[in-house]
Amino acid sequence: MSWFSDNGLLLGLATLDGLSYAAAIFMVAVGLNLIFGVLRVLNIAHGSFYAIGGYSAASLGLMFAARGLPAWAAFAALAIAAAIVGVLLGPPIARLLRRTQHQEPVLQLLVTFGLFMILEDLQKLIWGVQPIVFDRPLKLLGNVDVPFAGDLIPFTRYQLFVLPGIAIVTLVALAWTLRRTLFGRMLVAVTVDREAAISQGIDADRITMVTFTIGTALAALGGALSSATASLVPGVGAQTIVLSFAVVATAGLGQVEGAAITALLIGLGRSTAIYFAPELEVVIPYLIMVGVLLIRPQGLFGVIETRRI
Amino acid sequence: MLRLDEVTVEIAGVTVLRKVSLRVPPGGRIALIGRNGAGKTTTLRALMGLLPARHGTLAIDGRDCRDMPAHRRAALGVGYAPEERRLFGSFSVRQNILLPAEVLGLPEAEITRRVETMFDLLPELRELAPRRAAGLSGGQGKMVALGRAIMVGTRAILLDEPFQGLAPALALRYAEALLQLKSALPDVAILITESSPELLKPLVESTYVIERGEIAAA
Repeated sequence: MSWFSDNGLLLGLATLDGLSYAAAIFMVAVGLNLIFGVLRVLNIAHGSFYAIGGYSAASLGLMFAARGLPAWAAFAALAIAAAIVGVLLGPPIARLLRRTQHQEPVLQLLVTFGLFMILEDLQKLIWGVQPIVFDRPLKLLGNVDVPFAGDLIPFTRYQLFVLPGIAIVTLVALAWTLRRTLFGRMLVAVTVDREAAISQGIDADRITMVTFTIGTALAALGGALSSATASLVPGVGAQTIVLSFAVVATAGLGQVEGAAITALLIGLGRSTAIYFAPELEVVIPYLIMVGVLLIRPQGLFGVIETRRI
Repeated sequence: MLRLDEVTVEIAGVTVLRKVSLRVPPGGRIALIGRNGAGKTTTLRALMGLLPARHGTLAIDGRDCRDMPAHRRAALGVGYAPEERRLFGSFSVRQNILLPAEVLGLPEAEITRRVETMFDLLPELRELAPRRAAGLSGGQGKMVALGRAIMVGTRAILLDEPFQGLAPALALRYAEALLQLKSALPDVAILITESSPELLKPLVESTYVIERGEIAAA
């Protein structure tokens, strides 16, 4: 009890930080998950979409501010940047990766790794290596005092409401689309059994292209939303993709809700480590992943398979 | 209705079909008999566009479809029930059955008409409709796969080893359903593969025998 009262403030901060961090990681991981489902290629370049989304949002936001656009334009910049990155990068990269679909997995990984390196250099070419800061959305909304264990914790409204709010809206929209719409059923069908889906008249290439674009835009939106909370530096894409892999592997493939819960688990685990055992910050997500996979190799949330007999 | 002329198919550099020629007339009931590995499934997959033909021509309803994207077969009225059933486990039986009709964008009334025709042929599916496909037994799954193929197979239905792994009672029921299909949908051509010719005798008008990727007898 005494530990709790002594550390209540830190625990509260860790929880709030973990929540907003989990929201951003979820956006990247869920896109990665959808893309792996339709393409069966683990796309390392997915982390670049996050980074480019962040940089583009910052550039666009700073441009809007320089032109004297109203304050809300800072928020519009985040969404516009994510959409542009999704539409510009999604289809050509999907087309490229489609060509590797029947190749050895190691070759696919090498291709996506090569893509990742190219996109990393492209970022440095366009945005340089100096940190870029775009915290206008954060400052516009100001702070709020969050009561936690008898303390009042000052926290940004942006991280408390906007980041988790958009992640929840994304989660609900995706779950609804997958279960209630024809597009969702076609996406699930292509993910489960591409050949059987094609035999039902589904244009699997088109579904793959659209899904890849959505996944890319979601990662870019994750990056755009995070750009307001931390300065952008080279290497942010690599860090994100590794964490997203941990989320996807821990959740199990094909799980949207599972990815959300796992992102929360890993986000909270990581932020708790930052406040209480900073030396463990980097390993905590992977310890969670290894722990889960040892007990449940298919991930926390298994996928239903049709009985064979 | 279905026509293969000297079709050669390779899988991973190995020739699996050699100059296979085969004809299924409109409303015709044709069997393709062969041992395991003879090339039956490959023939059906090539017809469905799921494997590219290296040589030869493939035609559905007189239309050359060698270079046509595979997914457009359903729009041409070709239904396919693979040997492994290949149902979507997280969907209900009804969703599995409706999927190809919805993908084709058929009007609601037409979908209802087709579902009713299909339920008349396979009344057991009416009861199974709300159940999740993942929980079906192998035999029930074969019935659902047939129902799904009937939903789009207005011109032709391809059945890959439908009797494989069926319990005797279920195999009889399946054969009965196929006989009813013949009278209910006389214009629909059916191509059935099987390893034993005996099972198909009462159901088909003529038979092709395939051995090591070549048509040995017709």
